[in-house]
Amino acid sequence: MESAGMKIVIDDRPVEVEEGTTILQAAKQAGLHIPHLCFHPAFVPEGSCRICLVEIEGLPKLELACATAVRDGMKISTQSPRVREARRGVLEFLMADHPLDCPICDKAGECKLQDYYQEYGLFEGAFKEAKEKRDKIIKIAEKLILDRERCILCTRCVRFLSEITKTQELGVFRRGIHSEISTYEDAPVQNNYSGNLVDLCPVGAITDTEFRFKTRTWFLAQSESICPLCSRGCNIYVDYHPGFTRIPGTAKIYRIRARENLEVNGRWICDFGRYGFPSLEKDRGDKILWKKEGRDTIMSWEKILSLLAEKLRPRHRTKNTSNIAVVANTWMTNEELFLFKKIFKDDLGLKKIFFADPRPGSGDGFLLQAERTPNARAAKEMGLELNPVNLDDLSKNTDVLIIFGPFLADLHDPSSLKNDLDKIRTKVLVSSHRSGLESYVDFILPASGILEKTGSLTNRDGLVQKFSAVCPPCGDSRPEWSVLIELAKELRINAGYYSRLTQPEVILKEMGKEIAFFR
Amino acid sequence: MACSKAWTRHVDEKILTEHFGLANLYEIEAYLERGGYRAVTKALQEMTPDGIMDEVKKAGLRGRGGAGFPAGMKWSFVPKTSDKPKYLCVNADEGEPGTFKDRYILTHNPHLLIEGIIIASFSVGIHAAYVYIRGEYEAVAQRLEQALAQAAQKGYLGKSILETGFDLDVFVHRGAGAYICGEETALLESLEGKRGHPRLKPPFPATVGLFQCPTVINNVETLANIPAIIQKGAPWFLDKGLAKDGGTRIFGVSGPVVRPGIYELPVGTSLREIIYTHAGGLKPGKKLKAVIPGGMSAPILKADEIDIKMDFDSLAGVGSMLGSAAVIVIDEATPILDVLKKVAKFYAHESCGQCTPCRIGTSWIHKIIKRMSAGHGEKGDVDELVRLASNIKGKTLCPMGDAASLPVLSLAQKFKNELESCLKDGSG
Ligand SMILES: Cc1cc2nc3c(=O)[nH]c(=O)nc-3n(C[C@H](O)[C@H](O)[C@H](O)COP(=O)(O)O)c2cc1C
Ligand code: SF4
Ligand code: SF4
Ligand code: FES
Repeated sequence: MESAGMKIVIDDRPVEVEEGTTILQAAKQAGLHIPHLCFHPAFVPEGSCRICLVEIEGLPKLELACATAVRDGMKISTQSPRVREARRGVLEFLMADHPLDCPICDKAGECKLQDYYQEYGLFEGAFKEAKEKRDKIIKIAEKLILDRERCILCTRCVRFLSEITKTQELGVFRRGIHSEISTYEDAPVQNNYSGNLVDLCPVGAITDTEFRFKTRTWFLAQSESICPLCSRGCNIYVDYHPGFTRIPGTAKIYRIRARENLEVNGRWICDFGRYGFPSLEKDRGDKILWKKEGRDTIMSWEKILSLLAEKLRPRHRTKNTSNIAVVANTWMTNEELFLFKKIFKDDLGLKKIFFADPRPGSGDGFLLQAERTPNARAAKEMGLELNPVNLDDLSKNTDVLIIFGPFLADLHDPSSLKNDLDKIRTKVLVSSHRSGLESYVDFILPASGILEKTGSLTNRDGLVQKFSAVCPPCGDSRPEWSVLIELAKELRINAGYYSRLTQPEVILKEMGKEIAFFR
Repeated sequence: MACSKAWTRHVDEKILTEHFGLANLYEIEAYLERGGYRAVTKALQEMTPDGIMDEVKKAGLRGRGGAGFPAGMKWSFVPKTSDKPKYLCVNADEGEPGTFKDRYILTHNPHLLIEGIIIASFSVGIHAAYVYIRGEYEAVAQRLEQALAQAAQKGYLGKSILETGFDLDVFVHRGAGAYICGEETALLESLEGKRGHPRLKPPFPATVGLFQCPTVINNVETLANIPAIIQKGAPWFLDKGLAKDGGTRIFGVSGPVVRPGIYELPVGTSLREIIYTHAGGLKPGKKLKAVIPGGMSAPILKADEIDIKMDFDSLAGVGSMLGSAAVIVIDEATPILDVLKKVAKFYAHESCGQCTPCRIGTSWIHKIIKRMSAGHGEKGDVDELVRLASNIKGKTLCPMGDAASLPVLSLAQKFKNELESCLKDGSG
């Protein structure tokens, strides 16, 4: 702390904070929560909901915690009878103009109005008059529905669109009790960050069609993860329903939300990332298959890995690996790329190493990057060259091909792919998703999806971000890092080395020892 | 009668309405004939900006818009050195129900206001002033525009006024009919072309006002007092009123009195004198029930509370306020429930809707009162009104929350018995 510390007391707790800190922030530092609805740390305080009023010794009126800067020596009460009464009053007003349709509201369970009512309200409603009727299903964006009865007019949505995206699609219209949020003359909210409005809205007034009426928030496990859909590496929450034990197929990811990381993504994520998760769950490969004489045979990991090892081992022993080719991708984690490099480049000494990644898109100048893969930076830092696949080079004099990932299918047209792959005798596919490549290969090894893995990714700025598995692996799939270690063991290369690398964290530590960047 | 002779001595000496009898005072020629623009000449040629500010401070001139903030002190809050332009906003929104004084000044004596604008701007270092005028005042706005054009033609506005090197432009902006745009920060938003939503304070307009620049906001009547202060001096002005509240007020009397209208009287004149001596008392057959002394947001006074001096501090002392000095007289034949209904309807209608207690509270209160006046009042409704108004009072973003809740509180508390007599007794 550079500037003079301000010594204040909040609810008898002494705190020292920097000059310019608001009472709300100071309370947070002291471990106290002051209820707030319109305040959001990313926007200029507006002071309109009035629920954050606190009592300051010596001042006749209650003051806003969200907008009042502390002064040295201030004594603040966040629980005095006057404060509680005012807070209750605000809650009572809000409830009087609220439909209380929590049983069918998607926000129920994580609604600030519910939370505060439980904590500070719990009163009988005194409102006996007729409630205002308002529109409840207004489509304000491709995926967003506004419910004006639930809206508490905190204007967070309006301020997000004016202060963050600067697209200003929403405003407050009419006045008094008739005030309402609206788009301008039916021009919808149209920007790549619209989904953040759902996270931002403290109540269930803005919901998205992806999540609407699909599940209840209290069934969801909220796991921290990293968005894999571009190289920004936005921090996310993945809300996963572990499923009802007696109803098969109920385990499912229901939504992705932004997780705060001021270094990376602030408090937002783009719609491309947010609404991209269904593609992660679709077309999953979940069986280990050997297409023996044209017939699919289901295999175990032990069998298939030993079969593969048999094909590779003689070549390794005779140092004749020039006819082995591998295709990697930068959806693989730091640990997986490292193992990939160790085994194929360093140990087997392969020359034909290619990368097949999703095609670049265009960046949007804010979070979304043109590079639509999460870990290209890591490959570069490890000294792997991101050689794109050239089908001629790939197939010429190639006996064994191992492809990681489904992306090759998108980069070449099917007939030339088939043509060139047909020239190769043994083809192995390690992929989390079905892509069409399955029909050209002999061995199919299902890989776990990125949200089923534990590991780390390196974003475009070189930040290494760890993440843990959100849900169990799909079917028989295994993460590539484990496939690679098992393969190395089968190949009996560097046995002592690989058998030590039991977990992603151990691998990352080892990487740190070998590559300065990951230290 | 408690009102002494002392309080009637200045009745004939007027500051603002002196020549209102003249049919063409609004023409600059007629105004000049009566000694007009001498105050501007004196201020710009003989006085320093600081000297003017001191004089206004000493004159004890308190804002006539409602809050009664000392004008000279308000000006002195504007930073002396600022790399941004400074602005003056003249509040001519005159939205407070019962208030119609500024309209008279603007219609009959617009040059007096223009003089006040020029002197205030010179003192604070302002080169652009905006007059925010109530939307409904179309003819009034035209009159003001004409006066401004005449003043500019005579060299009192525009570049280098009276060859002093001081420039000033004045613009007229018409509102669109929202009461809240009379609240100074909502007025600024509206002038900037946005919704009339009051701003969170601090920062105060003196430092961050119109277009984020230092800004003074004064009521029409406040500024119209400046020329007299400059010409006749602070002691003279102070002597017209009270020690901390100088000059006169234009009391606008409405209701069933013999002579409703405006009365310019010394600050501190008693309410009884205003109603009975100047406005001629109640119409024959009518009996006084209550008075709202300072525009609709002022808490009501009962008939036996009118022996009170009409100045900011005296009225605050009895829990009411002088506000815009609009005196609304209510007679015995008027049911308090009707008064309450008018009050509640107005504030529910005019709440800007920005903050929770005012947006929802005023509407809730209005709904209860509508129900009561439709004959469906229930036991406990009056107490409920008091409870709800208390939950608005002092808890809103702008002073409108107080403006909306104080009259309801005073009506519900002072006339509880009458209001409860129209409720169902529980059996019906
Ligand atoms: C809801 C509301 C409405 C107001 N309306 C007016 C108005 O119509 N005219 C006015 O001069 N002041 C009005 N005011 C007071 C202004 O906010 C401000 O105090 C005044 O213009 C300052 O000028 P003064 O110091 O010269 O009185 C209103 C205040 C509130 C809270
Ligand atoms: S829609 Fe939600 S975020 Fe927007 S104003 Fe209403 S409650 Fe606030
Ligand atoms: S008190 Fe009323 S008028 Fe003032 S900001 Fe709140 S809602 Fe708007
Ligand atoms: S959080 Fe402070 S007023 Fe809304």
